[in-house]
Amino acid sequence: MQQFRWVGRPIPRLDALDKAVGRTKYPSDYYMDNMLWGKVLRSKYPHAKILSIDVSKALKHPGVVAVFTHKDIPNNRFGLFHKDRPVLCDDKVRYIGDPVALVAAETPEAAEDAANLIDVRYEPLPVVDDVFKAVEGDGAKVHERGNVARQTRITFGDVEEAFDNAEVIVENTYRTGAQIHAYLETEAGLSYIDEKGRITIVSCGQSPYRDKKEICETLALPEEKVRVIIPPVGGAFGGKDDISVQIFLALITLKTGRPAKMFLSREESTISSTKRHMAYITMKTAADKNGKLLANQTEIILDTGAYEGLGPAVLDVAIENCNGPYKIPNIDIKAKLVYTNNYFASAFRGFGAPQVMFAIESQVDAIAEKLGLDPIEIRLRNVVRRGDYGVFRNKIEGSVGIADALEKARMHELWLRRDDIRKTRHRPWIRQGVGVAAAVKGYTIGALPDKGVVGIELTTDGRFIIKLSSTEIGQGVVAAIAQIAADMLSCHLKNIEIKAADTSQTPDTSVTSASRQLYLAGNALRKASEEMIKKLITAFSIATGEPAYNASVSDGYVVSTSTGRRLSYSEAARILEEKGIGREAFGEYEVPRTTPIPGTLEIPHLFYMYAAAIAHVEVNILTGVVKVKKLVLLPDAGRVINPQTFTGQVEGAAAQGIGYAVLEDAKIEQGILRTINLSTYLIPSIKDAPAMEVIPIETTEDTGPLGAKGVGEIGIIPVAPAVANAIKHATGVRVLEVPITPERLYRRLKEAGQNTPR
Amino acid sequence: MARKKQLLETAETYVSVSMKVNGVPCSAKIEPRTLLVHFLRDVLGLTGTHWGCDTGNCGACTVIMNGKSVKSCNIFAVQADGAEIITIEGLAKDGQLHPIQEAFWENHGLQCGFCTPGFIMQAYWLLQQNPNPTEEEVRRGISGNICRCTGYQNIVKAILTAAEKMKR
Ligand code: FES
Ligand code: FES
Repeated sequence: MQQFRWVGRPIPRLDALDKAVGRTKYPSDYYMDNMLWGKVLRSKYPHAKILSIDVSKALKHPGVVAVFTHKDIPNNRFGLFHKDRPVLCDDKVRYIGDPVALVAAETPEAAEDAANLIDVRYEPLPVVDDVFKAVEGDGAKVHERGNVARQTRITFGDVEEAFDNAEVIVENTYRTGAQIHAYLETEAGLSYIDEKGRITIVSCGQSPYRDKKEICETLALPEEKVRVIIPPVGGAFGGKDDISVQIFLALITLKTGRPAKMFLSREESTISSTKRHMAYITMKTAADKNGKLLANQTEIILDTGAYEGLGPAVLDVAIENCNGPYKIPNIDIKAKLVYTNNYFASAFRGFGAPQVMFAIESQVDAIAEKLGLDPIEIRLRNVVRRGDYGVFRNKIEGSVGIADALEKARMHELWLRRDDIRKTRHRPWIRQGVGVAAAVKGYTIGALPDKGVVGIELTTDGRFIIKLSSTEIGQGVVAAIAQIAADMLSCHLKNIEIKAADTSQTPDTSVTSASRQLYLAGNALRKASEEMIKKLITAFSIATGEPAYNASVSDGYVVSTSTGRRLSYSEAARILEEKGIGREAFGEYEVPRTTPIPGTLEIPHLFYMYAAAIAHVEVNILTGVVKVKKLVLLPDAGRVINPQTFTGQVEGAAAQGIGYAVLEDAKIEQGILRTINLSTYLIPSIKDAPAMEVIPIETTEDTGPLGAKGVGEIGIIPVAPAVANAIKHATGVRVLEVPITPERLYRRLKEAGQNTPR
Repeated sequence: MARKKQLLETAETYVSVSMKVNGVPCSAKIEPRTLLVHFLRDVLGLTGTHWGCDTGNCGACTVIMNGKSVKSCNIFAVQADGAEIITIEGLAKDGQLHPIQEAFWENHGLQCGFCTPGFIMQAYWLLQQNPNPTEEEVRRGISGNICRCTGYQNIVKAILTAAEKMKR
């Protein structure tokens, strides 16, 4: 592989310095003189008709400036796929976090007290909390259009015929829980009127242009009247992809002319924010006697809760990846997205893939066991390789590192010691096991249009300002872009400055999601760099009279390859300015895509990321408690731009995977979330995070910027099935539901008679 | 830094507090229910101390009060009357990063960075108590802080590196 000066090196992130000294301003850190505090009154019922809303007492409360309801919202329905979500509820409330009214007051205490004085009369409606009952359609409806938000069926080949000829068939029903993002910074922001008279919202988010569009549409404001800025955000993982405080803030400033601040409490955030879709997956999988997978029949139901959000796309990802990274000639997928009153589900790192990967990777393990095959061997016999045709009869053109990852896993010492580990018993009640799983997910937004622009400005002192709308949600995209830019523009890293995510100053670089921000922004940056280099060389020709083909850029200078004469970037800037050529360049990149197959939105993708994981677990058979002792992750990463950022992102995603597998249990009873704080909704602490080893599988994605792939999500996807397979290895018991809580595992161990210490 | 001061000072139920924060004497009139974390952030404008939960679980708000690490969301500002407080803003001296800050930066001990000030303050206290911690002791020492982004590996590495640096 080609070597670069900056790319591929473990350079400490520029933005991390500010973070380490407490200087970074997050959305919650913005204040202004004379600002108001916003507080939302949220529904206490999962499902109810709103009979009346009386705000008179709240308005009289000292310090209160305004109280808003649905009457203040010109267009009170929004949503990316389907406009089903109200800014403030009007006819009904559909989950317990649903916003009903908004108070603006001089202090946070006054706002909170006043919100409690708003008198809302409800008529409770039957709670739709069971997806199976919801789809039957004779009970209560969450929305007029019925409870099935989307359904589709995709078939290739003939599963029935394949089942007739199979050596083994495994059929199971899996359930996966509602995971809560629990980013450490809850939703927050500040709004004000800027010097140009624009309503300016500085808030959390993952896409400034999309948030701006939703603000303008709901509040009937012209585009030029609104500006959205997204500073570095305290974690997102998909949970800040949907609108949270943005429209409320804009509304307060619009109506009062004053700055406004909101910063949700953890409890309010946990209740109201989006969650990972709960899934119900039935799978019937067949193989021949050599372990070749013949058919997979899948039924997926995703509970999207009160609103669709990004649910239709999440369903697509579940459909696309439910066959794992395997070539299976016969598939039949039935999939439904269902409304309930349980919560509001939308994007979460992995986007539908963690759910289905838990199912298919448990299935493959079960088949291996029936055939007496090694779990890695059976996977290797079925994985796709570059140039193969996938399950949707799509040619896999991008790089594929899964076979490599599995080969490396097979040789890993943890895997080699697998049987010894299982036989070792430090205590009569402890069982140990080692499990493996593979994973796949498309990156880029699939067959949906997706393009972005990046701008470069050459400053008069010869530095570069890169302008883009990517948001820094902790993933290090800003630092990675700086490294790439320094290489492309051939200058020192310290001469690169990044200006990110301000709709008044940076071009639209599409949304920061689907792990592809680096890929998209990086490619747009490449085009902009080419433009910029052309300009630099033009300046050189003007200055020296030498033809352009003689010149190239090198470490801050344009240099003639024949005469050796050189022109510094700062001199070039002066010439470009004088001659009116301009010191800015733009690059636009449209992500290549395919035509979606019928019945889908964005299947198939052109590029996929892959990973394998090995988990070592210890199970206490008397309590059902699982301890993950070690996790090895082998992600197919394309070229690694910054090894530190890369490993950190994979480890962080894997820790969330452990939470998903054994710990994070969002308890929802009849539409009421019982785990509303970090004291009851437990996310991995350092005690739950095991030793981790990340082994990057470096394949080269020819179309990526300098060969990089996205990797934001893949680390979470194989973890839950690897842990479940390790538990099976340790105890002989297969659990079909995540999270595998002590209660669930204990019950299964008892049923199987596996809870006697020996 | 005016924040909500004007309004606060006129209200009768409000009480005065004064304390020394990063060596600087500060005083204000506040609502008695104001938590120390909100006093530091909303009144003093020291936003490096973060607020991440309502139940004392996350540790994002960790500061040093009278030489001990405390979760500033678990303390009313009035309880800190007369106290000496150190926050993340008080660690770097004369533009020189504190070795712990340096170690977090260099070891990539952070991603979104929202938990970072809390971890650094906790590590600051931990290394004062025990300048030579084992990995196990570091893990135990920071088990009251939560990070959702990193998976903790690099945080542990950073603190161990910092301990080395501080010996030099
Ligand atoms: S904010 Fe203090 S522990 Fe979470
Ligand atoms: S770095 Fe984001 S919570 Fe720790």
